[in-house]
Parts: sequence; structure tokens; C-alpha cells
Amino acid sequence: MASTQTLLSPAELAYLHSSLSLTPPIRPDGRSSTQFRPLVAETGILPGTNGSARICFADGTEAIVGVKAEVERTKSALTTTEDETVHRLEGEFVEGLAGAGGNSAGNIDEEDNDGLEGQNEWVELSVEIPGYRDDDSGTVFLSALLTEALLADGNLTKKLRINTRFHWKLYLDILLISPPLSYPLPLLSLTTHLALLSTRLPRLKSEGDEDPFFDDDWAAAPYLYPRENGTSGKATLRPPISLLVMAVGNNIIFDPAKEELAVADVALAVSIGDGKDNNSNAMDTDTRNLRLLSVRTIDPPSRLTPPGVPNATNTAYGAAAGTTAQKQPEARAAESEAVEGVWKPPRGGAKPLVMAALVQKVLEKGGVTDEVLDALDAVELE
Amino acid sequence: MPLDTSAYNLALLRVDGRRWNELRRIHAQIRTQPAADGSSYLEMGHTKVMCVVTGPSESGARRVGTTGGAAAGALGSGGGGSRDGDAEVVVSVVLAGFSSVDRKRRGRNDKGILELQSTISSALSSSLHTHLYPRSTISISLHVLSQDGSLLAALLNAATLACIDAGIAMTDYVAACTAGSTSTYAANDEKADPLLDMNHQEEQELPGLTVATLGQSDRVIVLVCESRVQVSRLEGMLAVGVDGCKQVRDIMDKVVREKGRRMLEEGAIEKGVGLEDMDLD
Repeated sequence: MASTQTLLSPAELAYLHSSLSLTPPIRPDGRSSTQFRPLVAETGILPGTNGSARICFADGTEAIVGVKAEVERTKSALTTTEDETVHRLEGEFVEGLAGAGGNSAGNIDEEDNDGLEGQNEWVELSVEIPGYRDDDSGTVFLSALLTEALLADGNLTKKLRINTRFHWKLYLDILLISPPLSYPLPLLSLTTHLALLSTRLPRLKSEGDEDPFFDDDWAAAPYLYPRENGTSGKATLRPPISLLVMAVGNNIIFDPAKEELAVADVALAVSIGDGKDNNSNAMDTDTRNLRLLSVRTIDPPSRLTPPGVPNATNTAYGAAAGTTAQKQPEARAAESEAVEGVWKPPRGGAKPLVMAALVQKVLEKGGVTDEVLDALDAVELE
Repeated sequence: MPLDTSAYNLALLRVDGRRWNELRRIHAQIRTQPAADGSSYLEMGHTKVMCVVTGPSESGARRVGTTGGAAAGALGSGGGGSRDGDAEVVVSVVLAGFSSVDRKRRGRNDKGILELQSTISSALSSSLHTHLYPRSTISISLHVLSQDGSLLAALLNAATLACIDAGIAMTDYVAACTAGSTSTYAANDEKADPLLDMNHQEEQELPGLTVATLGQSDRVIVLVCESRVQVSRLEGMLAVGVDGCKQVRDIMDKVVREKGRRMLEEGAIEKGVGLEDMDLD
């Protein structure tokens, strides 16, 4: 997907690159470097799902995410061969029995017991992008990236546990409705975030290790990510989001559009978790506790763009024509020195300093991530 | 869950409380997506479909390109208009995993989906004026968000609306609808009532067919029947289905006119020549 070609000439690319590397950068759509594109979001659009959301970006790209949950039997400890695993599962079993007395499903969510871990197979995510096969490398990469972010802190799978014998299996289906105009990662990630926030699972009525038996009153169903005061209010713990950040020169630019990505030196997908972790004090709800979950570099399409030819080596402008170089003008230009105002695709990896600055900027308190999460908070849930 | 057929004979009401000749609620919108050439959203009862049309656009790049070409070949099925001079109608249908009650993942080579795609593609290319767009591709991508029977009919209607929004020249609306027949035993075969617009539960239990007609004419351009049904009942079902198609066509026409009127009022488009005296009720 990242290799989606933009039809820009080397001259246009050079222009874009130099205007983006100014301080402050001048973006083609007039945004500031940390500004996101405006978006329209709604949740609870599909009554047939456990949770759903739809987001439209102002450029017309639109995504729909539906979450469906099914009860599944947890693989028993007998089928695993490794001793260590068996011990761990036995430990879990004992704890489960001990906790069986007073615990209903409602407070299994609140338990931060380390023994009650989930398994990564309990979450299945699929991405559908029109015009691309579901085994296209870009699609697979996107779904791997989103899955990785969701599973990174283990909070989600922990919530899916019903008892020692059963768990919820969560299916996330991500549909990109519009053709992919820009790299769809932020759109898909934000939509998934909202869909998970609006996800509700039926209230468990059975206790302990009985076969699960649920309340058929949907109004009583608790949210997967519990709210501050029962059914309303903000979620105390939120699903992670992945943001697309790119660097041009020394500038860091958030939420790049397609043309901007075409001149990126580095493009990163940064996944951030929010909310209290096990160690921090749970009372502290005013400030967010942003945590870095994963970072992935994305191959920017700028690497595949054709380089510009400086006048000094351009025979049309009177440069001496070399006989061998004449045959492969592109190969020659690629090797030439960087000339001011002539487009040269970025080579090599990112500078460590730029990478560090990128990550720091994302995790900054009161920065862009906070802004995005505040905006998502404002979306009314169902 | 067996359908309680005896209840129908008592009150002549179907499982969802409709009479034999009543459609479910149809709600449609066009131009739902500003970025697409044409788009629509259609609900027939609980069946919800979104459609995005791209094109007519140059088809060369997609077919020549290595990955793009393979994707187009695998996802879409070019039905009609494969001749070089005509536009090709490529349809891709995505059944969302969450669309049915039980989540069922369907692969991209699912035969049912391939058949849906080729049916829609050939139906539309017979109505669209593909000869006006030589050497180009009209790609229609349909997303099924929720299924409750009459899937093919909903897909056809949504695709028609999106093509109208895209401004592709076409002969007339392709309006589709399903019809079924109540189950009876052999002795009172003549008492079997035809049913209009079947929902999922009825589709599971009763014989049914999908019919699409061209505009207000009686010209049938799609007729799909996948169940066993007595020949004597077919005529009644077809008549009811064609009648339903006319109702569907009127509803779609109202949606398109309403949208057009609003766009004129908002000044989103200019009034064409001769539109001043046109009746925009």
C-alpha cells in the first residue's frame, strides 16, 4: 500500500519537499504540522454487532468497523505439552476457583490479576480494502500493524476471559469503503478505537466455572472498556491508537496526506496506549498516561520516485554528454550529488535523532495525541 | 427454526407482520461519499448495502500493472461489455464478516459471491450505455453491512442508484425485488399465496426468486430462482415480483429527484438549459 504511486513530477516533488522542510513547514492544504484533517465520526451504527463505528475524513475516505464476539471454549491445559504452560494454567485454575465465590463478570474486568491473562488468538482482525486482495502485502501489513497495537499491552485479551473454560472470541472486521486516497492507517486505527469503545458484551449470570449463561437484557450489558460511572462518562482505560507521523528534513509532520507522504524522508506508524497501567496509581484520572506500544517504519512511496536531473548534467542544457552515462540517464542522476532544488529520492534509513524526536513528539503531554484522544472522547457513544 | 406456516393461513400475516403484497421499509440515499464518483446507501428492511462507483476511467493501467491487474482480475468479474469498444463493468461484492447473525468469513473466491458479481455486472451493462465509454472501466464496489434476505435485489438497487449518482448514461432504472410463495401441501396447492420481498427467515423456508425489471416497463432483465418451486406457482410469483419492482423503482426515483432538487436549491449544481420550466415537485 505504501508503494501507491503518486503521479508527481520530480519538479513538483522538489517543490513539495522544500516547502515542507521550511520552519514552520508549509503544507499543501494549509494545515499546521501537528494539525489533523477534520473528521466526522459516529458509533453504534450497526445494531447487529457488539460494537461498531464509522469515520469519514474530510478528503472523503471512509471506514466502517464492526466488532462481533462469540463464546469459545478455551483450549484445555491437557493439550499443551510444555510443562511451564501447564503449571501456569493450573495456577490460573486455582485462582479462578478462589475467585469464584463472589465474582460476577462485571468485576472480572476490573481485576488486574496477573494470573488472568488472555491469549492473542482471542482477537481476530481482518482488513478489507476495495481493489486489493485480502492477501495483498499492504493489506496484510496493515492488519498485522493494527493487531500488534491491540495486543501489545495485553489489556484487551484479559477482558475477554469469561472463566477458566470459556472466553470471548472477538472478531474485528475493518472495511475501507472508499478507494484508498491516502495511507489509510490513521483512519482505520481511529475507527477501530471507537468501535472497541462502543463494544458491549452480554452480562454474565453464571458464576465461576459453570457453562456461561448470560443476561438477555442488552441494556444491562457492560462495556468492554468500562466507563467512569456505570454506563455513561469517559472510559477509564482506552484501546490503543496508531498514528502516522513523517519527517521531512528536521520537521515532524502529523497525519500526512498522500502528496506529503510522497516526499517523506521517514514515515512511522506509532501505536500509543492510554490509561492506567498496573503499576501507576489508579486515582490519577485527569492526566493521561500515554505509553508507547509499538513503532513500525513504513516504506514511504518517495523512495520509488524518479530523481530530477540537475542542469549541470543535463545535455539539453549544454552539459558534456558522457557516452556510457547517456544510455542510462536515470542511473547517473541517482548517483549524482544533491543539488539544491532538484529532487532526489531519500536513501538509507532514518537518523536516530529524528526517530527519537518523532517518538517524543507523539508522547508529549498536551501534544497531538492528547488532542486526538480528546476529540475522540467528544464522540457520543450510542 | 421452522416457520410456522399455519399462522399465515389464520390471519394472512407473515412472520414480520406484513401482508402478502407489502414491501419492507426501503430507505435510500445517494451521494453519501464526497470522494467517490458515485455512491449510494440502501436499506431494504434490515439488509443494508453501501455502493461506491469509480469511473468510467481508463482501464489500461489496471490491466497492465502487475499487482493491480491481478487484483482486478481476482476481485471483479467483468461480465458484459468485454468487447474492446465498450466500457467494462467490474463489480466487487464484499460481505462484511459482521453482516450476518453468526459471523461467517467468506473467502474472495466464494462461488456465491462470484455469482452475485457476475449477475450484477451483466444486468447493469445491459442497462448502462457502455458504448459511450469505449476502452474504459466502470468499477462498482458493493459493501454488505447487514443481511436479512433479498441480498441480490438490494445490491442491484444500490448499484443502480450509485451509477445514477456517477452520471453514467443509462437506459432506465434497474429495479429489483424478490418474490416467494407460501408453503402448502399438495391438496390445497391453489391456495398458495405469492409473497413480496422475502426476509431471511422466509428465504430459508420458502421457495423464492429474485426479479429485476428495467424501469416501469415489464422487461425482466434478471431472474434468479435457486429453489424448487411448482411450475404452476411461478407465474403468480413473477407477477407479484414485477409489480414489486415497479414500487421499488418509484421509491428510487423519488430519492433521486429529492436529492437533485436539494442540490439545485443549495446551488451545488447549475440549472441546466430548459430546467426552469421543469416540474420539480
